[in-house]
Amino acid sequence: MLRLPDPSRRHRRREQALMFLLAAPALAVILALVVLPVGWLMGQSFTDGGLTLAHYRRIFGEDIYWRSFAQTFRIAGIVTVLALVLGYPVAYAASQLRRPWNVLILALVVLPFWTSVLVRAYAWLVLLQRTGVVNQALDRLGLVDEPLALIHNELGTIIATVHILLPFMIIPLTATMQNIPTDLLRAGASLGGSPLHLFLRIFLPLSVPGILAGSTLVFVLTLGFYITPELLGGGKVTMVSMLVSRNVELYNQWGAASAVGVVLLVGVLAIFAIVARAIPLDRILGQQ
Amino acid sequence: MMRLARIALGVSVALVLAYLMLPLLIIAPISFSGARFLSFPPPSFSLRWYQEFFGNPAWMQATRVSLSVGLSTVVLATPLGVAAAYAIANARNRLMRAVHVALMLPLLVPIIILAIGVFFVYAKLGLVATLPGLVLANVMLGLPYVVISVVAGLQTFDRTQEMVARSLGMNRLRSFMAVTLPQIKASVVAGAIFAFISAMDETIIALFVSGGQYQTLTKRMFTALRDEIDPTIAAISSLLTAASFVLVLLAMRGRQRAAASSD
Amino acid sequence: MANKQLTIFAVVLSALLPSLPASAGEQITFVSQGGAYQKAQTIAILDPTANKLGITINQDSAPDAWPIMRSQVASGKPTWDVVDTPTGNCIRGGEQGLVEKLDFDKLPNAAAMPPEYRNPYSVAYEFYSSVIGYSQKKYPDPASAPQSWKDFWDVKAYPGRRALRNHPFATLEAALMADGVAPDKLYPLDVERALRKLDEIKPHITVWWTSGAQSAQLLNDGEVDMIMAWNGRISALAKEGAKVAYTYNQGILQSTSLCILKGAPNRATALKFLDQAVDPVHQANLPLQIDYGPANPKAFDTNVIPAARVKELPSAPENASRQALMSYAWWSSAEGEAAEKRWLSFMQK
Repeated sequence: MLRLPDPSRRHRRREQALMFLLAAPALAVILALVVLPVGWLMGQSFTDGGLTLAHYRRIFGEDIYWRSFAQTFRIAGIVTVLALVLGYPVAYAASQLRRPWNVLILALVVLPFWTSVLVRAYAWLVLLQRTGVVNQALDRLGLVDEPLALIHNELGTIIATVHILLPFMIIPLTATMQNIPTDLLRAGASLGGSPLHLFLRIFLPLSVPGILAGSTLVFVLTLGFYITPELLGGGKVTMVSMLVSRNVELYNQWGAASAVGVVLLVGVLAIFAIVARAIPLDRILGQQ
Repeated sequence: MMRLARIALGVSVALVLAYLMLPLLIIAPISFSGARFLSFPPPSFSLRWYQEFFGNPAWMQATRVSLSVGLSTVVLATPLGVAAAYAIANARNRLMRAVHVALMLPLLVPIIILAIGVFFVYAKLGLVATLPGLVLANVMLGLPYVVISVVAGLQTFDRTQEMVARSLGMNRLRSFMAVTLPQIKASVVAGAIFAFISAMDETIIALFVSGGQYQTLTKRMFTALRDEIDPTIAAISSLLTAASFVLVLLAMRGRQRAAASSD
Repeated sequence: MANKQLTIFAVVLSALLPSLPASAGEQITFVSQGGAYQKAQTIAILDPTANKLGITINQDSAPDAWPIMRSQVASGKPTWDVVDTPTGNCIRGGEQGLVEKLDFDKLPNAAAMPPEYRNPYSVAYEFYSSVIGYSQKKYPDPASAPQSWKDFWDVKAYPGRRALRNHPFATLEAALMADGVAPDKLYPLDVERALRKLDEIKPHITVWWTSGAQSAQLLNDGEVDMIMAWNGRISALAKEGAKVAYTYNQGILQSTSLCILKGAPNRATALKFLDQAVDPVHQANLPLQIDYGPANPKAFDTNVIPAARVKELPSAPENASRQALMSYAWWSSAEGEAAEKRWLSFMQK
């Protein structure tokens, strides 16, 4: 092995320092507006006049917090599974088709981003109400006697949340699938494998990083959802972020809200820690 | 068998895409509705919601605020994000990987936690209900989009080109501007667009941090919806969507013209 | 070429810069609850006051002012001066040092109001009611429509979808009245009894609404057939031709009050404004714009409000007598605050 001369190592060190300097301004923004505030939040959660565990004791003691966390995680799980089931075929098509089809599909997937989340939520209201578009259509087709309760409950919340987060599943999946070499599949076919066999044994396993990336993203984003369950849940859905803001309203200091927020944050970090064992964190976030 | 599978795939993809499009399709018609509440199909045609929007100084002010925040966010987040992405793509040590993860934090930390945290830090610094405060918060939110996009773009960029330019005498910055940047332009633009959209659509932090006369469009929409649920928001949303389309078309046209003129 | 682009960019950017505030003489920031209500106030009270006093009134709105009042005062630099908010918030604000003590020597109009409409920290501003509203499509004949909270709770005699507010204010009172408590014997509220009664109806509640706009939309779109909502919302729908109606029977009469934040930037002007806001004529203007009642009883003596209109107002004597008057003293007490916290667990079950 070559022994590198000293100047080269110095050069490398200088290079690394330069790279860090380039990233420093962006990092400074993150430190000031994410790390500092969240750190403050954590500090507040242990404060109530003096240092205390009172807020945490209340969270782990009172029923409503358990229930809310349970409901939040359950909804996040359902949303993730649905997004995966619905998103996988679309990602597959987008990654395998030629122009212009793949561009068209991706354009349609990204299109909802151009519309405000608030307005999308209200559009779902119009669609899913008792007297809404879907129920009107079902009624006219004679498929139901009574309008279905599609909104102001968990179901409506899930439908709208999947809608909003589906792109976050499809895009990482597509990116991963695009990198699956087609000659692998062709080689498998030439060896006599059936299409189903090829898919299950070769394609699906190779798409797992994308599945993990998309699922993690969708799951974590659902955990933090606030507007959609507030508007479409009818009071029957209390996700943790809603609890955080209710605590801000009800309790005198920020400590109560901060404690709920910290528990949520720890949950999110735990998920990332677990997933990061399967694939490194920066691969989830885009680096190949 | 293959045929059947292919048809099944086509149908399911079409259905999912229809599901994605469905709410978007009813927004524009509702914005032209004569009825006071959100109803579809609209019983009559009317431009009153657009008139309501353009004729209302509060909405106009909110639009100005949102647009200035959006533009300022892009102007700040793009260079910062590109520099950081360049650094991340070029240096593969553990420190830079940690920096990479740190730059993703705004996407990962639940937004309500960010909102409360930023609010209280701002309250101490007197940045609540100010324009710089809003812009900074949105730069923070937009950075991940720029970084993700540009890092991905730099993956497919061949670094040796830059090295060649430098070996020919250009300094680092010039070789970046002359050789690298033109080739990753698409990723930079994509990241910038996402940062812009994120700033325009950002609701929760704006709820806490904007106020007084520096209220964003999203905050105004949120509070307006507590007062009256009417098609004004559909009109605003349709206008924003149309404006974004025009922006993207202009950007694409600009790129085509640039590509043509550089031949 | 680059220069031209830069100039255009600069021009566009400067056109986009939000307009700076007109540096006026005296000014205050007045906060209410937005929407049609605030628009009505602007016409009836705010503009005439601004003209009379020669001041500028900047407006802000917040559906729930309490958390913002707290954080503003906590920051040490409040931007709000006068807040129009449910009376309970002013009372709590006074107890918690968030609100200035009022100098009634400087407030002749306020001082002349009945003592039960004012306290050291606030003056009553406007009356509204939480009432039973219903769809006339479902209940075309008033005789067959729900007229009391007992009716509201009776899902067999009055089948249909229902909505209540996702908040204990007035909802607990309604539950107690449904359980047979007389409107004038409600306080102190038996919270557990009210929540037990609410447990009965909970499976039949389609939506727990969170905003006035949502309550109106639910009734208008036929999402629910009967609802507890604010009278102004329902009458606004009826005026636009929706087939809805309501009754003041067993309604809960509530009020909002004006108070000044501690450390408000324009305290002196705020005091002047406050006195004008409860001036009898200005107060009488309000019901001409919206279906809420003036707090100052002298407003009824000004002959500004036509007799037919008076009959429709929540605070008119013949309507007030059929309603329960909300006790803000109870809601700002420790039991009241505990009830608010209890509400979260009730909703989550």
